[in-house]
Amino acid sequence: MKRILMTAALAAGVMAYAGGFRVSLQGVKQLAMAHTSAHAEDASVAFFNPAGISFIPNKVSVVAGGFGVSNQITFQNTSTLKQTETDNPLGTPLYFAAAYKIVDKLSVGLSITTPFGSTIEWPSGWEGAEMVEKLELKSFFFQPMVSVKLAPWASFGASYIYARGKVDWTKRVTQLGGSLNLLDDEATGHGFGFGFYFQPDSKWDVSVAYRSPVDMKAENGKATFNVSSALYPNIGLAATGGVDTFKATLPLVDEITLGATYKVTPKWLVSADFNYHGWERYNKLTLDFANAPVGNQADPTILVAPKNFKNAKTFRVGTQYMVTDMIAARAGWYYDESPYSDENFIPETPSFDNYVITAGVGLKFNKLGVDISGAYAMPESRKVNNAYNSFYGQAKAKVFYFGLGLSYNAF
Amino acid sequence: MKKIFLSSIAASLLFAVSCQTDFDNSTEDVVVTSGEADFSKYVALGNSLTSGYRDGTLYSSGQNESYPLMLATQMKLAGGGEFKQPMMPNDVGGFNDLKDANGNILYPGKLTLQVSNGALGPVYSAPAAALDNVTSGGPYQNMGVPGAKSFHLVTPGYGSATNLSLGRANPYFVRFATSASTTVLADAMAQKPTFFSLWIGANDVLSYATSGGSGVDQKGNTNPATYGSNDISDPNVVAASIKGVLDGLKSVGTTKGAISNIPYVSSVPYFTTVPYNPLTPAALGANLTALNSGLYGPLKQALTAFGAGTRINLLSSTSANPLLIKDTSLTNLSAQLTAALTPSLGAATAAAFGQIYGQARQATSEDFILLPANTIIAKTNPNAPASINVYGVSFPLDNQYVLTKTESALVTAATDAYNTSITSLASAYGLALVDSKSKMIELNSASGIQWDGVKYTAKFVTGGAFSLDGVHPTGRGYAIIANEFLKAINMKYKSNLPMISPNSYSGVKFP
Repeated sequence: MKRILMTAALAAGVMAYAGGFRVSLQGVKQLAMAHTSAHAEDASVAFFNPAGISFIPNKVSVVAGGFGVSNQITFQNTSTLKQTETDNPLGTPLYFAAAYKIVDKLSVGLSITTPFGSTIEWPSGWEGAEMVEKLELKSFFFQPMVSVKLAPWASFGASYIYARGKVDWTKRVTQLGGSLNLLDDEATGHGFGFGFYFQPDSKWDVSVAYRSPVDMKAENGKATFNVSSALYPNIGLAATGGVDTFKATLPLVDEITLGATYKVTPKWLVSADFNYHGWERYNKLTLDFANAPVGNQADPTILVAPKNFKNAKTFRVGTQYMVTDMIAARAGWYYDESPYSDENFIPETPSFDNYVITAGVGLKFNKLGVDISGAYAMPESRKVNNAYNSFYGQAKAKVFYFGLGLSYNAF
Repeated sequence: MKKIFLSSIAASLLFAVSCQTDFDNSTEDVVVTSGEADFSKYVALGNSLTSGYRDGTLYSSGQNESYPLMLATQMKLAGGGEFKQPMMPNDVGGFNDLKDANGNILYPGKLTLQVSNGALGPVYSAPAAALDNVTSGGPYQNMGVPGAKSFHLVTPGYGSATNLSLGRANPYFVRFATSASTTVLADAMAQKPTFFSLWIGANDVLSYATSGGSGVDQKGNTNPATYGSNDISDPNVVAASIKGVLDGLKSVGTTKGAISNIPYVSSVPYFTTVPYNPLTPAALGANLTALNSGLYGPLKQALTAFGAGTRINLLSSTSANPLLIKDTSLTNLSAQLTAALTPSLGAATAAAFGQIYGQARQATSEDFILLPANTIIAKTNPNAPASINVYGVSFPLDNQYVLTKTESALVTAATDAYNTSITSLASAYGLALVDSKSKMIELNSASGIQWDGVKYTAKFVTGGAFSLDGVHPTGRGYAIIANEFLKAINMKYKSNLPMISPNSYSGVKFP
């Protein structure tokens, strides 16, 4: 089971529209309510806040779900009048979580998610090909956790994060008349998360959580220069046939989440969340090649590209109405800020200020819950003013998410 | 309750609608217009740069990336008509039936990069065919004639096959001239263009410069019939020729067009690739001391005696040393050197030394060492005495490999004079002025010109903008030029022809 899930998780490539390459799709029920966090009905709370598992009403809870992400980016160059659309595959982020209440005060849990990722595929030889033709970023977080009840109304939980990731990046090297592929599927990283969860009375749920940054380190990436073999000596790769190794670190950034849910009536609840993402950590990307002098630093094998991401915020509002005891109707709205300015727009991880409306239905069949949700994003078209790459124009995106989740609560 | 729920959804929808998801102005909806110009018959006049010449010759795939064709392709979006080019019969170029008096090929095929001794270098191909004639397929809208100087455009007989052997015609024009007596201008006028481009004048200085100043500065001589092929044309001749072209076109109603100025030779890799001082102590090794004691020392001593000691300095063991060159503008001290060296070297050797070093000096940072010197520096001259036969080190580089400071000053002065005329003619005739000169200077700067992440510079081979001949651009370089034409045309005639992406054209090809 674990192996299957991990394989599935690795297969999950997603284009993230807002928030750099953070993919906020870790709970189908949550997405229906704008991906808000203060919902402790089942184990899907584990990713949002480890402390939340203490308030799951049942002794055992298992959830699993998946999403489809359909998306397309369009770039238009206002001076050549050329428009280019991406041909991105359907993204399929998945999640699994389980929680077990050992005693009333102590719960343990496990969350497996794909919180960061991006697959973007521009047409071969498009205008920005020197920056990216195809980029696939994948990650999965494997988070064991424990939560203790500090009081009947408060809990504290913490998790350890083990992350694995993959990067597969193909770009043109126009001046050498070829292309470069950077590949590493053995990148790993570590981090942690902790949070407090409160149910001060029967009407309120309050969630406060922090997830640390995870630096994904590629120690032995493979760089393949698909260029004329006559050039191998010029790029220091005569002995290896145009293949080099590289080291790089990609930061998966930290996140602070404040969330609350208020039951207006026994049947109707409203939720709100605030997220703060530490994208400032991704201010540059350093590629350290073993031999190829394709860099831009004093050491010619080191290439540093400025990214200049800025910390970003997300605001979420969601609601649920129990139509009957078995049927829940949900809806939400959120606003997710792009982590960079027009001057730092990069086509390998396009990002937009994003307005999203969400909706979904939950069905309860005794212990089994089935949830479906969908979201329609309205990313704001933006200017592209990247002087570092002399890349100018405008970009827009179309995004649609849908999800199917199952939950099983027992005892 | 449901009402509240629904109205809150409605409210958020409204909020969402207020955000702009689509482009405020989609490029697909832009209507490309010709403004005040009429692009229905565009004719391009000029030299090799206009023809699409690169890698030392004219060949078909290079022609397919000529800047006039790039312009015509954009013009088609705004009423532009057919644009025919006198295509070469193959993708190698050259003419195998045109030879000089010694039987040497005059028009070789294209340069390609080849690996020899582990290093990549340009090598000429054999010409692929005999001179053909494509007149019957005309008229052609790309009338760029490789090698043409300004006055050639108005010289009758420049396309006459019988004039070829006399050196008074150009095979590239012979190929498509409508008659033996016609001129390039007359053939252009016959087409009654609605729009034209003219980029001429570069060869009026270039052949002098690329020959290392082997010709004469003809300033003051206004009869081009008396010029040698490597001479610098008189600025008045250039101005009058260009004016002649503009007047001719005007007489058939062609009054709208673009004219470009002339880049400095100092911005192209043919002149900037080989350093004046490549002789590092490491490269000279043990020879350094021997050269100083056996050659540079005695030579400096002898020259000093004749008041010319500054021509040669001893080789430094700590910094890079300049090449030894021949400067024909120096007083020839052959006789004096021979006399001075005879007691120590004997009459025969002293005579050889005197002859070789009579106008020798070390290069300075103000001299341009030409690209072909790359292949002979540090090689031996089989015709020189064995002890002093290393080009650039012990044997001076011949005049043809060096554009000296004095010579380059003449080139710069002529270029400036031509450009002054071009600027004032552009304004007098109300034409779009293309500033190729500045663009080339920008390309030659350290930062170069960047386009969608690809940085172009004027560096030979690696800069991406210049072809293997070091003078003519690659397809990408021509696209950079084409964008300058497009910008100037749009500005002058209020058209909105879209720019093109240099990255999508070809660069230097690697084997």
